[in-house]
Amino acid sequence: MGEVNNNQVIDGGHQNRNWKDTLYCLFIMMVLLISATVISFVFRIVDFPETNIVLVYMLAVLLTARITYGYIFGFLACVIATGAFNFFFAEPYLAFSVEASNYIITFVVMTITALITSTLTSYGKQKTLEANRKEAETKALYTLTHRLSGAADMDDIASIAISTISDIIGTQAACLCFDENGMPMRTFLQQVSPEKQIRLDYTDTTDIKSQIQMINSDYIKGVEFYDWPVYGSETILGIIRIPKERAATMNESQTRLLKTMIESIALAMDRCWSMNHRIRTNEEIMRERCRGNMLRAISHDLRTPLSGIIGTAEMLMDMTQRNDACYGLAEDIYKEALWLHSLVENILNLTRLQDGKLVISKEMEAVEEVVGSAVGHILHRYPEREITVRVPDEFLMVPMDAKLIEQVLINLLENAVKHTLPEQEISVLVTEDKQNNCVVFSVADRGEGIDPVDLPHVFQMFYTSSLKHADSHHGIGLGLTICEAIIKAHGGSIEARNRPDGQGAMIIFKLPMEMNQNELL
Amino acid sequence: MSYYNEYILVVEDDIKIRNYICYSLQAEGFRYITASTGQGALKTLVSEPIDLLLLDLGLPDIDGMEIIRKVREWSEMPVIVVSARDQDKEKAAALDLGADDYLTKPFSSTELLARIRVALRHFYKQGGNKTPAIIQVGGLRIDFEKRLVYLDDKELHVTPLEYKLLSLFFKNVGKVLTTKYILKEIWGIDYSSDTQVLRALMAGLRRKIEKNPAKPRYIVTEVGVGYRLVDE
Repeated sequence: MGEVNNNQVIDGGHQNRNWKDTLYCLFIMMVLLISATVISFVFRIVDFPETNIVLVYMLAVLLTARITYGYIFGFLACVIATGAFNFFFAEPYLAFSVEASNYIITFVVMTITALITSTLTSYGKQKTLEANRKEAETKALYTLTHRLSGAADMDDIASIAISTISDIIGTQAACLCFDENGMPMRTFLQQVSPEKQIRLDYTDTTDIKSQIQMINSDYIKGVEFYDWPVYGSETILGIIRIPKERAATMNESQTRLLKTMIESIALAMDRCWSMNHRIRTNEEIMRERCRGNMLRAISHDLRTPLSGIIGTAEMLMDMTQRNDACYGLAEDIYKEALWLHSLVENILNLTRLQDGKLVISKEMEAVEEVVGSAVGHILHRYPEREITVRVPDEFLMVPMDAKLIEQVLINLLENAVKHTLPEQEISVLVTEDKQNNCVVFSVADRGEGIDPVDLPHVFQMFYTSSLKHADSHHGIGLGLTICEAIIKAHGGSIEARNRPDGQGAMIIFKLPMEMNQNELL
Repeated sequence: MSYYNEYILVVEDDIKIRNYICYSLQAEGFRYITASTGQGALKTLVSEPIDLLLLDLGLPDIDGMEIIRKVREWSEMPVIVVSARDQDKEKAAALDLGADDYLTKPFSSTELLARIRVALRHFYKQGGNKTPAIIQVGGLRIDFEKRLVYLDDKELHVTPLEYKLLSLFFKNVGKVLTTKYILKEIWGIDYSSDTQVLRALMAGLRRKIEKNPAKPRYIVTEVGVGYRLVDE
């Protein structure tokens, strides 16, 4: 056999190897036929019956069919053998003419027998080859899958993949992995010998990603390599690179095998990818939870002493006259502590919301009651303020967690109070949007409005406007974040904008009128 | 030097808040005694002639609810619970168990004293068993004998159910009434899960007595707990 590569060469499909093979087969055939002729001459000298000579030729044809590839040489051998028998051993000798008619029968029987035997032999041989190839394929795939199942990370998978592919295809395969963002890595791994793999810089300047999106065949023809993309369930995970010279000469069964191998590599990479992804997400969640827990623990511990400070300061205020300097100091303590307390409460609320520990228990609630309660709350705290409230005349029931929506309204109103002068109007407006089947709440003021620069960020955590005076307590940027979290948890939407009808800011949020199907269950 | 004869038990485990409460009480002229644990509170309740219980819901040893339940077994004394802001459920449960009112931390001493006075007034009213024939709150007046309601001296037409609801509030001026309690009082049976009926009734009533139902002057909503007729 031409080129034997370890034990696993799957078929020979090379152009020049075919040519070599043909020569080799011809040679074998000639040797066998000449040997048969020589032996036959010996038989004739020792005067054996002619039947034996026929059998010797038959044997030569059989051996030819057995050793050579395909049907063609067996058939050729059979014709030549008949011719040779006719020429050398049938009277008249050394001539193709035949005298006795019984020779014709001998020729015909000999040819038919030789043909059938050679065909059968070749066919059997073909089958064996096929079975061998199939087995080798299965074994190769099994080896690959088996080795891949033990792989720990992407590099491991790449290394196993290329060594197995190189082994089976008989080439120096390479693998380029993609990172989590779906971008190709800077380097790729190539098998340079059965024992050695090297890392090379990926210098291909062409945009591989767009190329992959464009292709309609299984691979991309590159300068040095043919690239076979490895697709995961979500994104592309890598590229298997087969050197150009080898890739161009691969036959159908090899291509099929390569595709199957790539599929199983894709599976392994996908598994690894999603595992990494899960681990990372888990880590993130853990970190987030840790932070939340710490914030909550601190806030919780702060809350109680703050209540004490607030109370004590208030008592000090009660005990002193308004014109006393001590009254002012006590009032400062009181106000600061109050601010700190609401901050702590906000943090607690937010951590609880983010944890998903705050269970939203929706119930049908009267909009006017929730609005009334929130407005009452603010008016109680800021008795000097005037708040305009308008709700629909008809009685509106909306599914919500009343306590949380009240909190949203309180936060929004507090913001409005902070950003306006006492004489500037604050208004709460509720309307029903029948078209979209939702209720629209808007809290608007006549203050300085929101700077367009800040508009897209107002709901971000810890975002405070850059324009604010350093000495004022304008919050720490949690109030709106909490509002957003609560509204989103209700399946609604919230947005901030400046009033179209003049100066002032407005926050609008919408709540769906109906519960979701799964919430009803 | 006491302006009041009432003896108040303050149950609070946090020493600073306890001091603060005590100081407020003292300044107002109340007599008081303190306990920092549930066990201590129960002991004091048995041994001392307590008139009003001020109870923190988050005690280290016994659940505050348990104390309310025990107290209610033998006494009708006013109970005011003190809770953190995130204990709405407990608040409502405490009220349903028989607590008279609640305060959410942080509260001002004015608030505390006002609540105590309201609770005491109610207690004595119950003791005197007769509610006055006419009660006036702001511009709203109810005449129990004639079964009539007046708003700004004009007779107000209310349905029988609305009258029932209003009279319930007038008998408990300043006191928070839980949704569950109101449902039971008005409809008699345990309607506790069907709060929508009450909300609708309340909406109708508000449209009659309030200028702006979303900015109520008389009956305010305590979200998650119930309603209160404000007396100011």
